Parts: sequence; structure tokens; C-alpha cells
Amino acid sequence: MLDAEVLHAFSSAVGAANVVSDPVRLRSYECDGLTGFKQVPSLVLLPLDTAGVAAAVRVCHRYGIPFVARGAGTGLSGGALPVADGVVISLQRLRKVVEVDPVDRRAVVQPGVTNLDITKATARHGLYYAPDPSSQQVCTIGGNVAENSGGAHCLKYGFTTNHVLSMTVVLPDGEVVTLGEDTGEQLGPDLRGVFIGSEGTLGIACDITVRLLRVPETVRTLLADFPSVTAAGEVVSDIIAAGIVPAAVEMMDNLAIEAAEKAVGAGYTLTTPAALVVELDGPAAECGNQFEQVKAICDRHGCTRLHIAKDAGERAKIWQGRKAAFAAVGRISPDYIVQDGVVPRTRLAEVLGRIETMGDAAGLRVANVFHAGDGNLHPLVLFDADAGELERAETLSKDITELCVELGGSLSGEHGIGTDKACSMPRMFGEDDLAVMDRVRAGFDAAKLSNPGKLLPTPRLCGEKPGRYRPHPLEEAGVIERL
Amino acid sequence: MTDTKSTTVAPADLRTAHEALAGTTGFVEIRGAGTAEGWAGAQEPADLVLDTGKLTGVLAYNPADMTVAVRAGTPLRDLQAELAEQGQRVAFDPARVARGATVGGLVATADSGPLALAHGSMRDLVIGATVVLADGTVARTGGHVIKNVAGYDLAKLMHGSYGCFGLLAEIVLRLHPVSAATATVRIDCRLGTAAEHAATVLASTLEPVALEWADGMLLVRVEGTEAGCETRAGQLAELLGGAVLSEQGALAAWKRHADLVNDAVVRIGCRPSRLPGVLAASGGTAVAGLGTGIGTVKVPYEAIEAVHDAVTAVGGTSVTRQRSPLPARAWGRPPSAVRTLRELRAALDPGGRLCRGRFENWFTGEAIS
Repeated sequence: MLDAEVLHAFSSAVGAANVVSDPVRLRSYECDGLTGFKQVPSLVLLPLDTAGVAAAVRVCHRYGIPFVARGAGTGLSGGALPVADGVVISLQRLRKVVEVDPVDRRAVVQPGVTNLDITKATARHGLYYAPDPSSQQVCTIGGNVAENSGGAHCLKYGFTTNHVLSMTVVLPDGEVVTLGEDTGEQLGPDLRGVFIGSEGTLGIACDITVRLLRVPETVRTLLADFPSVTAAGEVVSDIIAAGIVPAAVEMMDNLAIEAAEKAVGAGYTLTTPAALVVELDGPAAECGNQFEQVKAICDRHGCTRLHIAKDAGERAKIWQGRKAAFAAVGRISPDYIVQDGVVPRTRLAEVLGRIETMGDAAGLRVANVFHAGDGNLHPLVLFDADAGELERAETLSKDITELCVELGGSLSGEHGIGTDKACSMPRMFGEDDLAVMDRVRAGFDAAKLSNPGKLLPTPRLCGEKPGRYRPHPLEEAGVIERL
Repeated sequence: MTDTKSTTVAPADLRTAHEALAGTTGFVEIRGAGTAEGWAGAQEPADLVLDTGKLTGVLAYNPADMTVAVRAGTPLRDLQAELAEQGQRVAFDPARVARGATVGGLVATADSGPLALAHGSMRDLVIGATVVLADGTVARTGGHVIKNVAGYDLAKLMHGSYGCFGLLAEIVLRLHPVSAATATVRIDCRLGTAAEHAATVLASTLEPVALEWADGMLLVRVEGTEAGCETRAGQLAELLGGAVLSEQGALAAWKRHADLVNDAVVRIGCRPSRLPGVLAASGGTAVAGLGTGIGTVKVPYEAIEAVHDAVTAVGGTSVTRQRSPLPARAWGRPPSAVRTLRELRAALDPGGRLCRGRFENWFTGEAIS
């Protein structure tokens, strides 16, 4: 509990009307999209502007109170999980589009603006904001900055870090600085790049200047069925080998398709073992030619049905099926865990085979939806908590991400480490790597008040002994070494 | 700049790089191919010169994954030649690559070329790195996959750090396909007209990969399929009243562009629409990335301060690319978060061993003028 003096200081900082202390209201902040972890915060602050955020953070700094910034709370790794005896600083009231500059193709937005609203605010200029996480209708740009969010189109267009030029940041001691410059290229050290994806542990982003892209002249989308996941995987490899960089390549397996069809009826084939969504965009003169190449590659690998979106409506339908897949598995299973891991794209078939074996061994089904172009898997581990399967499902889910690391990949492609995977970090990084990250953190936040307990493993969270380090495959091959 | 008492060590791998720094003391200069030695602040005389000339070679290259891991001293030119055999490239083309600039040096100096319009700079292409800190600590960041959000992205901190946060020993890059065709349209015009043309091109859907004005000529490059490039270059030429260059003509025009950049005295970054004004006011020979907001200018040394001031006045940043014999600031305004940079320097290199002087007084705690 916070004492009266601190309460008064917070009230002065953000205005008494913008402080939530009612236990019932506090409960709605107890978790983010990863609902397995819950912690009711001591207080929630709802500042109205950057100055209010800075004032709130200064109070935290003065009294040594940990704080957790929160946008829409859609994160899937527990990055916005409150800290016991800490406060939540919600950015929900900072949701103005401050400026749209069609000449220099950029917009300045407050952190509570949703990802999709940026595109809505700029569409009349023929511009859009490229990163498109599945939750883009509700997730906020501030959260995107914290997580370095990607989306289906990041294979071609990159991630949040490639689309944010600069940010007004409230550092963990309350100082307000600008990270980044007026151009995407900084001449000195790129602190903006360090901050983006730091999961709220280095401060709070306020005004965010994003780069806007011209809406491409043409978009071509196809949905193709294949007799096996392996065949679909070979199509992806051949497309890349042909020198084509598609805007998006998404794969779904039969279980994911079954779920998505039950939910939205997007026209996917219920019986197909695997389906690919391939989207190309760009100048018409380039797109048409490459689209023909993609169709030929699909045919060559035994495509059993090829559906080409005839218009924007049909394209939206295809994407609806893909984007609905996560939530849709609720229709084929009472409970599920959404996982996020990355493997080098050439190891997709191998990882899928091993996930199947691991699922069989655990007696659990795993549906697969993934960004095939960049090897980013989203296995959905299906289970029934009432049947006592939760623990087995969590173990399987964790083992799958750690398998990704073992295959030369990463613990997370876009959902972040947060609370969920902090204890798995020693599987991917050595002690020195993590110690250096901690030193970087100290450079921003010596008092460790900004979202503590996330991203980096702590003894409290993970026990004194971190998980056993497994050598990176390149290390075993003698390609890299750990000194 | 080193005095006669300095020792030079040329590590050939991570282990020897680690050994050169672990358990040793004294100031350290990091030296690559030397193509940016005159950029930014001068390195103070050091006790040890770490020469990355032998820290070369590809560590892992799987063309199907379109990623490559290299030792940081590898000249990018050599790497590109190796990748080209597989129809791939690092989509990055600064002027000094032709002079042998190393991958690590290009990252450490935040350099970029015309392709930055489409592909960004090294910060956008590096997906992993292994760094040796001043005390010899070896730290890895990122990984070998293009999509990865696990842990802090320390490669970004190294980008533009001029070696002050550590030695880049190994770097993992994402690759792009070499396009089947490319075409360049040239329009001879003044900078003001070029800026208007640039606005027209950027409002179109023709998707140029480079859009650069270089001392009287505007160059617009497209890449793609043979037929697509021909169509789009034709459309651009018609739209702007320019000419599609022959292959030889394009090479010569881009060579001239690179020569001008190599000869520049100050590098500038600002809002793209403000760049022409700053460059014009400088009175120098200029090159302008009209889509990126990155430009360079050759001015007499006595005009450097005025360029910094003009750039600062429009909210931009600037750094010198040639060492002035006259007293002149190497950097324009320091970044807003200079205190954080200082804290990071203290956290990663508490003794201030590495590359002293590159950022002038940013790290010393002196008042910033």
C-alpha cells in the first residue's frame, strides 16, 4: 500500500480525477493479453499529456515506486503485467493524432492512438502506416514501440523499429528527451533503436513520429491449398529463391483452418492439410509478372486449389480467415496457449515435424499459424484446463519456443519476452550477454523502476539458478564461439 | 591519430579480439580500413590500436535463409562479390564501399547510400552482432533470424557509435535479392526544381529505390523486373522531363554521385523538405537524398560552423566528414538524450578507454556549448 504522502504526490502530478484507487476498478488492470499472470496494481494513473506522464514518473522516482506503462493491454507476453506495490501508468488518455505531414510523409501521434487509426488518419493523403500486428484495430502505437511489433507484412516492410523516426520519451527519472531525429538515419548512436522493443523497461514513449508509406499501386493476393505442410513450405522457399520479396506469406495447417472456418467462414478448404496466403504489392508493372511466377511455383508443388482475390472485398475475406485464427481455436478447444517463436525459414518443415511429435508425446493438439516468409511460428497449444491439462500445455508451449532457439532461431518474433519468457532467456543468451543487457538498462534506469521483472530473468522470478544454457547450433558447428 | 608509443594488435577472430582488451589497460583506438578516419571528432592518441584488418571472412552463409554472418573487418565490397554469386546482396551502397570500407566500420559510422530510400541503413539490415566491450566482455545481441524481439537490440547502440561502446567483432546481416533489372532516369536541374520533382515522384506509385540530387543532376533509380523497370523508368522520364540513361550512362552518373559524396566535408540529416534550403544556404557543392533527408556538402573549412548552425536551426543533425585544420566543431548539436549516452558510456566503458574524442565533449561531462 502506498502512504498518504505518495498518494497526494500522484494526485498532484496527474490530477486527483485521473488516479484510480478503487479496488474493483484496479482489477481491470491486473493482466494484459496473457491472462495466466495476474497482479492487481496499487494504483492506476491516467495522465492527460506528456507533462502528466513525466510528473507521474518523477513521483515514482522520488519515492522509489516501480511503474508499468500500459496501452491497450493486448500484449501476449505479460509485458504490461503490473508490479506488486507499483503503479500502472495508462496511456489511454493520450490518443490524439498530433500532426500528419503528407509532404515529408510522417505523422506525430500520441502513444494511446491505435495502430489502425494512424492509417485511417493518413489514408486521405494516399499514405499508410506499414506495420500491421493482428491486433491493429485495438493495440496502441505506444505498445507497438515497446514490443517492436511486426505483423503479416513485415517480411517486406520491416518492423516498428523501421517505421518510427523519433519519440518523446519520459526517462525513468522523469526527464523528457527526444530519441531519434527528423530523418530515419541518425548520425550518432541509435538510442531510438535501443528503446524500441525494450518492453517498457527503459522509459515511456509519448509523442511518436512515424514514417508513412505511399499506398502501393497494386495488391495481388492468393490463397492456395497444398497436400502437405512440407509442400507449402517448399513453395515459400521457391518464391524466395526466385528473388521475389512478397508483401506477406502466411501458412495455416489443417487444425487452424478448421478453427478459422468455423469462426468466420472465409472460404478456406476444410479438408486441406495446409494453405498459404501469398500477397504481392507494388507497381502494377512489377506485380503482375511476379504473381504469375508465384502461381507457377504453386502449381509445381501440387497445389490443389488456387483462389485469387478478385477485389478488395475478397482479399479482406482471405485475411479475415487468417487473422481470426488465434481467437477461433477457442471453437475447437476449451483452452489454448498462443506461442511465438522463430526459426530460420529453411528449418520450417523440421520444426513442424518436431512440434507434432512433441504434441503427440504430450497428448495435446497443436494448431499452426505462421508468418512463413520469415520463419515466425505461432503454434497454438490446445488443452482443457478442466481436464487438468494446463501444466502439460504450458510445458509443451515452453519447450516449443526453446526448440526454436535450438534450431538457430529466437524465443520471440513479435510478442516479446515480457513475464512469460524471461526465464527462458538464458536458453538463448549467455550470462555475459544478459549482464551486458542489464548494464544497458542501468544506463537508462539505474533504479530499475521502469517495468521491473520483464525481459531479463531475475532470481525472484526464475530462481537463483537460471535454466541450463544450451549451445547455439552455430557454436556447436564451430562457427561462433562463446568465450 | 596515434603517437609512436602505441602498439598495434590485429585480432583475426573473436578470441584474439577478446584477449586484446581483457586484462589490458590504456586507451584504445579502433581502426578499420581507415575510410572514415577523418569523420567526426579525432581519436585521441591511444596506447593500443586495434586493427580489424585481419578480422575478416564469412562465418555462416545460407543463401536460402538470406542471412549472412561475417567478421566485422570484412570489406563490404568483398562480401557483396561473394553474395552476388548467389544473386543476393546487402541492400546498402554508401560511396566509400568502393574504397574498401568494412562492414563494422559502416555500422559504427552510421553511413548510408542512395538505396537508403528503399532499404534504410545498416541499422535496418543488421540482425545480430557480437561485441567486445572495453573490458574484454564478449556480448551477443540479436541472432540469425530476421524477425527477433528477444532482448535489447545492442546493434542499434553500436550503430553510429564510432567504436565508443565496444568493438564490433561479428555481424549478422539480412540480405535481399539482386533485382533482375535496374534503370536510372536523369534530369538536369537546380536543387529547387529537383525538390519539386522529388515531391512528384514520391507522390506517385512508381516506387524509386533511390532519389538523389547531385550537383546539378537529379537521379531517380528503379529496380525490379526487366519489363517493369523499362515501363517505370519511361513513366518517370515522361513525368519529370528527363532521360532514361544507358547502362554505361547510369554507372557514370552514380560514380559522379559517389565521388561528390566522398569529397564532402559535412554530412547532414534533417526533415527531407528542409534539406534543400540548408544545402543551398551553405553555398557548397551538395548531394541531397531528397526522400531520406540525408545530404552532404563540400564547403571551405571556415564555413563548417555556419553549416552546423544552419542545420541546427532547422532541427537537423550534422557531422564532419573531413578533419578541419581550423578549429571547428565536428558535430552539430548533440542529441537530446546526451546524458543517457554518457550513462551508457559509463556503464559499458567505465574507464573511457575506447575511441576517445570521436564525440568531442559528449562523454566527458563538460558543459555542452
